[in-house]
Amino acid sequence: MTSHDVRDMLDLPGEAAPRPAKKQKVAAPRPVLKGLAREVQNLGGDNPIAIVPEVSVFKKKRFGSRKPAAKWENRSFKNSARDDETLVLKHWRRKDESSAAPSGEGEAVAQDGGVVEDSTFAKYNVKVITPQYDDEQYQRHLQDNNWSKDETDYLVSLARDYDLRWPIIWDRYEYQPAINLDPETAEVAIVAKAENRTLENLKARYYTVAATMMKVHKPPESMNQAEFNLLELMQNFNPNQEKSRKQFAEAAFSRTKEEAREEESLLIELKRILARSDKLAEERRELYARLEAPPSTGNIGVFTSSQGLQQLLHQLMQADKSKKRRSIMGPDGTSPAGPSGLNQQPSFDRRESSVRESTSGPSGGSNNKKGPAQPGPTERRQLAPEEMQLYGVKIPERIPSSGPSFRSEKLQKPITSKSSVQQQKMLSVLTELGIPHRLIMPTIAVGESYEALLGGIATLIDQRKVMEKIQGEINTIKEKKRREEEERAAKMSGFGGDGVGDDRDVKVEEGEREKSAAPSMSDTGGQHKRSASVLSAVSEKSTKRQKK
Amino acid sequence: MASQTLNSSMQPTDVYGGDEVSAIILDPGYSSVRAGFAGEDTPKSFVNSHYGVNESGTVFGDDAIHNPLAALDIRNPMSKEGIVEDWDTATRLWEYSITSRLTSFKQADPRTNGLNDDLKDMDVEMDGIEEGEKPLEEHPLLMTETAWNSPKNREKSIEIAMESWGCPAFWLARNSVMAAFGAGKATALVVDVGASTASVLAIHDGLILKKSVQKSHLAGNWLSSQLRTLFETSEPKVELVPHYMIMSKSPVDAGAPAQATYRKYEKSPTDSFRALEEERVLTEFKESVVQVWPGPGRLNSNNQMGMTNLEYAKGQPGRVFEMPDGYNQMWGVERFSVSEGMFDEKAALPIPGEQPITKAQTIPEMVKASVNAVDMDLRSQLLQNIVVTGGTTLINGFTDRLNNELVAMYPSARIKIQAAGLTAERRFGSWIGGSILGSLGTFHQMWISRKEYEEFGANVVEKRCK
Repeated sequence: MTSHDVRDMLDLPGEAAPRPAKKQKVAAPRPVLKGLAREVQNLGGDNPIAIVPEVSVFKKKRFGSRKPAAKWENRSFKNSARDDETLVLKHWRRKDESSAAPSGEGEAVAQDGGVVEDSTFAKYNVKVITPQYDDEQYQRHLQDNNWSKDETDYLVSLARDYDLRWPIIWDRYEYQPAINLDPETAEVAIVAKAENRTLENLKARYYTVAATMMKVHKPPESMNQAEFNLLELMQNFNPNQEKSRKQFAEAAFSRTKEEAREEESLLIELKRILARSDKLAEERRELYARLEAPPSTGNIGVFTSSQGLQQLLHQLMQADKSKKRRSIMGPDGTSPAGPSGLNQQPSFDRRESSVRESTSGPSGGSNNKKGPAQPGPTERRQLAPEEMQLYGVKIPERIPSSGPSFRSEKLQKPITSKSSVQQQKMLSVLTELGIPHRLIMPTIAVGESYEALLGGIATLIDQRKVMEKIQGEINTIKEKKRREEEERAAKMSGFGGDGVGDDRDVKVEEGEREKSAAPSMSDTGGQHKRSASVLSAVSEKSTKRQKK
Repeated sequence: MASQTLNSSMQPTDVYGGDEVSAIILDPGYSSVRAGFAGEDTPKSFVNSHYGVNESGTVFGDDAIHNPLAALDIRNPMSKEGIVEDWDTATRLWEYSITSRLTSFKQADPRTNGLNDDLKDMDVEMDGIEEGEKPLEEHPLLMTETAWNSPKNREKSIEIAMESWGCPAFWLARNSVMAAFGAGKATALVVDVGASTASVLAIHDGLILKKSVQKSHLAGNWLSSQLRTLFETSEPKVELVPHYMIMSKSPVDAGAPAQATYRKYEKSPTDSFRALEEERVLTEFKESVVQVWPGPGRLNSNNQMGMTNLEYAKGQPGRVFEMPDGYNQMWGVERFSVSEGMFDEKAALPIPGEQPITKAQTIPEMVKASVNAVDMDLRSQLLQNIVVTGGTTLINGFTDRLNNELVAMYPSARIKIQAAGLTAERRFGSWIGGSILGSLGTFHQMWISRKEYEEFGANVVEKRCK
């Protein structure tokens, strides 16, 4: 390292004369320099210092182009974006090559002031367009009780001055109405001044003015999309909504630390719930899919007894084991129907645990997996009464002679016991109500209400039948009466009004009957049946009488 | 380069917005005047605002005013609020700060340049000056002012620039806006703690929101008065003897009385001179010893461990300061307590003859008041762009404390404080912003030109510089 090198690096002039001589010197002790570099490198310790030894290339480049130094000139320019365009400022610019060739001439031109270039920044000057209106237009379109024309003018001028920066417009809004000699207007002006305009107020007024003028200048039909959007935006401005939004924002802004923390914890909880709900929904969907799986075509009669069940369970367990850790609830494990292996040797313990599993089965795979690990198979958990109700566990005093049966089976009974026509009718009513023929989740509560529903449907069907019957009878009687009247009319033309009273009697009687039957329609099935039969007997009687 | 066409996608990122027209930026304050060319990173000329007056005339600049032999009466053309009071001297002071370092106009011999002449000769001399070169004929001038400057003062400044300095163009900018520009923000909440005033105000798109302007006197000078109170009340009393009084001193142990021989002056320096020199010692003390309790919590409040922060601060290592007379002492918790008043009005030391400070004057309260005075939609944005500037904010721990106070005050908002790391950038924040603004190409359309001034009068500054 010589002073020459340092000078070069720092771009310092001076001592230009002895350069070539020194350069040769520098070339000779290169190896020494390298040694020095190693020492320098040692200073860096583990991190090697990056040294760029390409000094010579740099130098060559530098000395290779021996162009004359670029010429600069203090050139005048103006800015066309200014209001007063006469201001001429000066900045340093590279002298153009063309004007540099005949040196001196370019300066003369600039000094003449003949051509003063425009600033390149003038094009960035952008101004907002504010609505323009004259007196007449104001009178016709823009009248407002709360705003004088003066104040509207002031607002529009502020909007122009501050380029629609509303916070600033609001901040600088200091409307002082012109003091008129006319006392009336002065009073109005004072009233107007007392009003402290809110930001929303100012915005609303400006947007109304702008939207109205926009419509006046150009009917909405002929506007292009952008213009129309702007118009709609301005027309839809709702100061009250803005105000309440700001109030909300302010409330949120001025929360205390505790409130903020509470909200934060609530948010975290919400996030957790949402995350879990995804999983839950997934599980539930899976469960439903399994419940709605087509019923196995095989005969299930074998499994209706507790022994058969046990056997099925055992089979499933076997299948489960062979599939290695795939749970019973796995999607594949649902179709092992078919009583194939009949070797049953159920130990008591096995049975206990499996019973528990089957009761808690549908609540999810994870629960199931944990099941065998946690409680010993021998200990049996005592269920609390509410849990019993929750799980639908019932302990009957004695086992019915037929042995245990599925609850779902019991539910099917009211349907299956009916005739096929009745069945069809009941099923169609169920379909109408949008209830599946087979219950998806026959808990005890659901089962009870289902039973009630079926009872109701049966009643309904009965009622309907009765109603149809009565309707038919009424129709026949009406028809008959009509005919009789016709006959009587024929008779009347022939001989006196004999037999009229008798007929009327019958009619009254029937009317009463019908009336008395009507309320009984709403009664329970048994009662209804009776009254229906009575009714039918009566009607039979009457028809008989008619026949007579 | 100028002729290179730019497509629209390049414009926002690639344009070099600078176009320098050798504008001069003048940023006067209570303690110093900063002046320099636009486009530079620090002001070339940094002149003490105080000036000295004696029978032979007025002297400006640090080179002259610290002379104890000259029997100078030290004055300041600025008021305590950072507004010019004495326009004649202010003009000369500013002219000195520009001409002494920046422009080619050399200050002539004081006997002949007319600056120090009697009023009688003024008229004769004025003609000479007007014919001669005016200091800023070639340079547009960008001047800064406080946000609470009066319209009359603003008109006065354009008059000076145009009439006495002959500027081709002029602009008057708010110093807090400039500080925000210096930090690279157009929208910001500027916390400016200088020598005479501390101010907090909101800026939106480069314009101050007038309703948000808050100021108080809890700034550098107030801190000095706190220090004086501390010295007065500490046991033993600490004598504040400025450097010029000391002829020689010998080292003494910490807390031991000073052993120094004092200088005697035939004509004893004035009180104001002594005050100026004392202030220099206090400045040194502030720079090297004083610290702001960084938080969390106040100095007198309890921390999580159940003890007060004060006790914790007592356990912190102290700092030794040696007075000019050789007296030295370890300053422990006192260095926290003197500055605590800026954040907690109850912790302020009482200053004799002055009203106790109010809660509204403390910096966090000023921030709160300022934020509350702006539109709701802007508040969170402002709190994310807090620009801290001014020399007094350089006191250790100031920004940490401010951050802690604001986080406690606005728990639901995001607080981000922007404070320049470099000392010079913090002290000259508003000048640097002016330098940036003055060198922008797009700023050329803003200048108030001489022609406009002549056309509309001084009033034009009110209309244009908003």
